Amino acid sequence: MEIFLQQLVNGLTIGSIYALVALGYTMVYGVLKLINFAHGDLVALSAYIGLVIIMQLAGVLSPALLILITFIATMIITAIGGIVLERAAYRPLRKAPRLSAVVSALGASMVIENGIMLIWGPMPKIYPASVVPNVNFDLHGVYISLMQILVLVISLVLMVALYLFVNRTKLGTAMRACAIDQDAARLMGIDVDKVIVTTFVIGSALGAVGGLFIGMYYRGITFNMGWIYGLNAFVAAIIGGIGNIPGAMLGGMLLGIFNAFISGYISSSWSMALTYVLLIIIMIFRPTGILGERVAEKV
Amino acid sequence: MMNTKNAVYYGLFFLVLIVLPFFLTSNWISVMTTFLIYSVVSLSQDIVLGRAGMFDMGHAIFFGLGAYSTAILNMVYGWPIIATIPVAIVLPIIASVLLAAPIIHLRGDYLLVTTIGFNIVFTQALKNNVFGITGGPNGIFGVEPLKILGITFASQKSIYFLAFFVLLLTLAIIHNLETSKPGRALHYLNLDSLASECIGINTRFYRLYAFALSAAIAGLAGVVFTLQFSAVSPGAFNFIQSVLFFTIVLVGGPSSIPGVLLGTFFMFVVPEMFRQFAEARYLVFGVAMILIMIWRPKGIWPVKFGRIPNYITKE
Repeated sequence: MEIFLQQLVNGLTIGSIYALVALGYTMVYGVLKLINFAHGDLVALSAYIGLVIIMQLAGVLSPALLILITFIATMIITAIGGIVLERAAYRPLRKAPRLSAVVSALGASMVIENGIMLIWGPMPKIYPASVVPNVNFDLHGVYISLMQILVLVISLVLMVALYLFVNRTKLGTAMRACAIDQDAARLMGIDVDKVIVTTFVIGSALGAVGGLFIGMYYRGITFNMGWIYGLNAFVAAIIGGIGNIPGAMLGGMLLGIFNAFISGYISSSWSMALTYVLLIIIMIFRPTGILGERVAEKV
Repeated sequence: MMNTKNAVYYGLFFLVLIVLPFFLTSNWISVMTTFLIYSVVSLSQDIVLGRAGMFDMGHAIFFGLGAYSTAILNMVYGWPIIATIPVAIVLPIIASVLLAAPIIHLRGDYLLVTTIGFNIVFTQALKNNVFGITGGPNGIFGVEPLKILGITFASQKSIYFLAFFVLLLTLAIIHNLETSKPGRALHYLNLDSLASECIGINTRFYRLYAFALSAAIAGLAGVVFTLQFSAVSPGAFNFIQSVLFFTIVLVGGPSSIPGVLLGTFFMFVVPEMFRQFAEARYLVFGVAMILIMIWRPKGIWPVKFGRIPNYITKE
């Protein structure tokens, strides 16, 4: 039972990170119908940017202030990266065949990945050990660290904020309108370009939080980790139902818990394969994901 | 039918490929052999992606199945290479039909993700040494050369010409496909799946047909790939390789034979030319991929269907 609860806590932590990254995929897919393959690499980039900021400011500021500034600065820089990505690689292809945009996304992913390698080198970088003080709480045999609490709380706050933004604000409504029918949205006076840029800003900023968590929680970061985390997060988005924001959150959590149990009970060398077996099974029996896709297929 | 102009161009192209190995260093013959093999795989990927319009991002599975069939049957069970070739063709066909049948109805992106999933499961299985015959993460070494009628295909040039022969065979198959009933069926169902079903095309059958045919060709290419390196390893068939084949088709021009060949040249041989720039080349390469898609969204050499004026085909 204790192993079960321990793995549940670990799974929820990883799941929150997946969910944050998955939101970036699902939001862009909802509005543009495009798999943003470069999103994972943007997440990796944010982990490197966060490391640079931490190294510059460590010791100068108190830990709480350091974490706050790192998060805000990284989110802003990554959001700018998201805007540049959209401008350079996706906007010129808005009217091109859909697969051309996929190739462009793959090209952008290569650019970011190899850019990181050229700047920071091919060797893994390590986050300093005590960015977040290493405190463990013992809940009847189940250990939960301060870092895990931080991940869970911040993710939850961000997801609730996003949910409220999308459902309660004017821009959020515009975003949902664009996801249903861009042309109709434009006729209603919605500035579609602005909505798309907003989507990229929010998606990248949430991805940046995910990237920082990866750095702080796992500590080791590599230039090509964007592919692995990106794919897992993307699978999470699909499992929940792509284009569906609560779906991405649910999918991320489920995938995180699933991964943790596989690693805990079976074997970690099969965990990735089993993740995809789960995906394939869901695709066969429920092709639009657990919560269903928000966009209906047009004949 | 092929007109005279095209026949001359293809003749010239084949002539260049035939004389090329006599002027190249051994290193470049090896690169060109891999180019020929990758061309075959990309042409087979194009049957599924370009002609049938199914987003298959797991094509390295069939390539890898062919390669591993030959290597395992030769090394573990001691079969001669020539006897492994039919298995290396039939096994990918069976696998492709079994894998594709439950997911064939999925729409574009879902199919793409599921095939990525298959590919990752496939490479993980190879790495984890399933049934103890795949050799684990290092793969299998020391595969025998091919022997036919007392001739041994061991030298670099002989493997080059073997790959060239397989390319010719593939081009013949695709040329026949273009002018046959299944080829037209694929073309219709790619343009409009619903309309083609309404005029009586069994879309499900022809989609599986496309998968099976392309898996067979990729499997055969896998055999030559094993022979070239006398070895196989999981890294050569991972999901990144599938992305490469996928990109080759789209950068070159879907369902265009010269386009796919050019795409393979651009995506595989060109990076080899800039090897001295090591990692920086892939950065430039990513930029080039974006720019090509912006300027030529239908590929470097898009396909032309007959003499249809541009304003009709424009959407």
